[in-house]
Amino acid sequence: MTIADLVAEASAELDHHVSSSADECLKCNVCNTVCPVMRVTDLFPGPKYEGPQAQRFRLARGQQIQGPHSDHVASPDHSVDYCSGCGWCTTACPSGVKIAEMNNQARARLREGKRPKLRDWGLGQTDLTGRLGVAFSPLANAVFGNRLARTAMEVTVGVHRKAPLPGFAKRTFQSTWRRQGGATGADGTPVPGPDEAVVYFHGCAANYYEPHVAEAAIEVLRRNGFATIVPPQVCCGLPLISNGLYDNARQRAASNASILAGYARQGYRIIGTSTSCTHTLKAEYEEMLDLHDDDTRVVSEATWDICEFLLDLHEQGRLDTTFGPLDEDLPYHAPCQLRSHGIGLPALDLFALIPGLRARDMDHDCCGIAGTYGLKKEKYDIGMAVGEPLFERVIASGAPAAACDSETCRWQIQAATGVPTRHPVEFLLDAYRAGDATTR
Amino acid sequence: MPRADVVVVGAGLAGLTAAARLAEAGATVTLVAKGHASTHWAAGGIDVAAPAEARTPAEGVALLAARSAHPYSILGADVEPAVAWLTGVLVGEALAYAGTVHTPIRRVPTAIGGTRRVAIVPEAQSAALRPWEPDEVLVVAGPARFKDFWPSAIADSLSRDDVWHGADRPARVVGVSVDLDGHDRRHNVNALELANRLDDAAVRAADLDRIATAVRRAAGGRPGRVALPAILGLRAHAEAWRDAQVRLPLDPFEVPLVPPSVPGMRLWQALRARIRSGGGRIQIGEQVHRVEVAGGRVAAVEMEAATRVHRITTDALVLATGGIAGGGLIATVGGLLVEPLLGLPVEAPPPDEWLRRDGLHPSGHPIESAGIVTDADLHPVAADGTRLANVFVAGALLAGQLALRERSGDGVAIASGWRAATAFLDGRARAPRRRAARVARAVG
Repeated sequence: MTIADLVAEASAELDHHVSSSADECLKCNVCNTVCPVMRVTDLFPGPKYEGPQAQRFRLARGQQIQGPHSDHVASPDHSVDYCSGCGWCTTACPSGVKIAEMNNQARARLREGKRPKLRDWGLGQTDLTGRLGVAFSPLANAVFGNRLARTAMEVTVGVHRKAPLPGFAKRTFQSTWRRQGGATGADGTPVPGPDEAVVYFHGCAANYYEPHVAEAAIEVLRRNGFATIVPPQVCCGLPLISNGLYDNARQRAASNASILAGYARQGYRIIGTSTSCTHTLKAEYEEMLDLHDDDTRVVSEATWDICEFLLDLHEQGRLDTTFGPLDEDLPYHAPCQLRSHGIGLPALDLFALIPGLRARDMDHDCCGIAGTYGLKKEKYDIGMAVGEPLFERVIASGAPAAACDSETCRWQIQAATGVPTRHPVEFLLDAYRAGDATTR
Repeated sequence: MPRADVVVVGAGLAGLTAAARLAEAGATVTLVAKGHASTHWAAGGIDVAAPAEARTPAEGVALLAARSAHPYSILGADVEPAVAWLTGVLVGEALAYAGTVHTPIRRVPTAIGGTRRVAIVPEAQSAALRPWEPDEVLVVAGPARFKDFWPSAIADSLSRDDVWHGADRPARVVGVSVDLDGHDRRHNVNALELANRLDDAAVRAADLDRIATAVRRAAGGRPGRVALPAILGLRAHAEAWRDAQVRLPLDPFEVPLVPPSVPGMRLWQALRARIRSGGGRIQIGEQVHRVEVAGGRVAAVEMEAATRVHRITTDALVLATGGIAGGGLIATVGGLLVEPLLGLPVEAPPPDEWLRRDGLHPSGHPIESAGIVTDADLHPVAADGTRLANVFVAGALLAGQLALRERSGDGVAIASGWRAATAFLDGRARAPRRRAARVARAVG
């Protein structure tokens, strides 16, 4: 018997399923020590109470519960809605309890069979709001930028008047890409193979709000010998998952998986510029949505965050490192979703290759936005308090710009600090261009 | 792929000590751990060795070192310099400690009204170590409705002679509960929330003044000391501790609580800061699932990441994964103990002798001594008999300790973490000379 067999035997009894991982909880409180929400508000009693402790009551579901509190079985305490889903508890747990995931599922169950709040439904449908917003972008941007309109939105819909809502792009990235003849292979030119091209998953942010991030990524990939294929795609589904709308999320997942799986099977890598989309493709379809089909699996295995991919190229000696100097301080915030990838901090490793760039990890847990959490009327102040130390550090750095891999964090940091906050690939592209200028 | 001079696996005191020492000396070090470790539960003091017969930690080390199977039999001489180095690091991070291995072991109160034997503690706990004058009163004071610290119950228990095991005790013990502003509706408050609250200077001043008033009344003009729950600030602990000394009428000391342990988290924060300022990396939440060994040496460690493997190549590995409680050893259903990363042979009693029938037997359970046997340089021997020359075993994973009974876990962790780092650094310092000698021979 090999050691691997023995370890497998020893862990056979451990059930790594989200809901029953509560059995592994030792009640050690480590999760409570890292919870950013619990740090700033009494409204959330902490991951230990909401997760493994409440879970034993949730597991009673399906049995006939007698008494006046039977409707509370889905979740004994509705305060689970104050979990931001940042995932720090799961990261810190020494016993492998999937606390954040447990809380997310509990929230989804709270909402099962009920009509979702218009706001939560709307915040979940980022592709729908994005499509509408871009179509009517001058109007939509005027409304979103108008204080009166935002106050009305807070009262009617529940999106906080100061919440960082990004401006819509004039045109979606997809339509610009098609117009530029980007539909690779459509004009009869041969499609480059998986060693010369990657599939780009732009997600909603790059498509509707920040097409320049997509353009920077494609240019950085091109400089490293990779053409980009942009297949049709829908929202990854994460905003739906975090708003407890699993059924809608499963539709998105199935649609993406069926399109992307064909590429993945041919050996193409799927690259994303949003750490939260890429983590959803990698892990959440299976873990949160319980999808275990082959399409989901191959897509998951083929998905890379762009910085992870570029650093991997560098480790193989294949990254173009003709970066010119960028003489500036660069505060960097690692988003919570990036930590769930378990890939270290690849953006910082890439920044280290740029001469003159003084990138520094701001060393703060969470900016407070947590996707759509900090946008909500009742959670905006919590989000701002969670991110406060980060905002202070970014401002104190005096830097002209900050960097962060995740879009909603960028919007939050930028709104709270006034410091323009950009995706790491944008700095890489700046450095390539600075290099062009020096060699010319 | 990322590389490091040394990968440290485990975020307990052994791993943190090794990583801090390595980073300080300029080695590139990456510490990975599947989650937080004992720092978040432990009392924050440094238990080096306190077997019943020992009067100082140094005596305890000598007693334990005489047992051939105990880690101190190879680490005995490292304990004093390692602990001195570590407390120096902590002072540098604004977390002062009191005591050395030669400080007398004394009894200090616990949060359930018992006493425990300690010598080296954070400065904020150290007033408890001073011998009691005949007329001294001990006021036990804490926030009302805080379920982890009941002043009146603690005071009742500490009023019994047998708790103190001797005459050295306060003349009188009184408990007082203090209502903190805006805290009357709170349930389920834990120590961390209170520490966060006391990080705020203005709130802290008001809270301490309320406590001071109650303590003054309880002491009734007698000299003495005040025992507080260990909640005097987390990020601003140094300031909170200074304020407490200024604002309270009696000498304060903190009493550690059940988890989450604020003194332990301060220790974690200080060591984390030292590792990071030395350029070291700390990756919590990344579980190593495979270690690559080639030619008797560890070449890389691999962590399970979302969908793929995160690999770090390395020149050396510090294995500080803990014992059975920490997951460094796993028991199989068939009654075997397995070291899951390298498959190292485990020294353990036979399965039918693992446990005593009496769960609370004062000598503990034989299984507690299970672990990995190493040579004098902390290198283990693999199952196939090869000595793994770039692997160091540190902390609770080392065989032969009964850490709970001997109160030796922190000392073993610190001494072995320090020794592992020192041995790596010494080896590296010698290596260039060896290379230079080879080159010289080749040229000659």
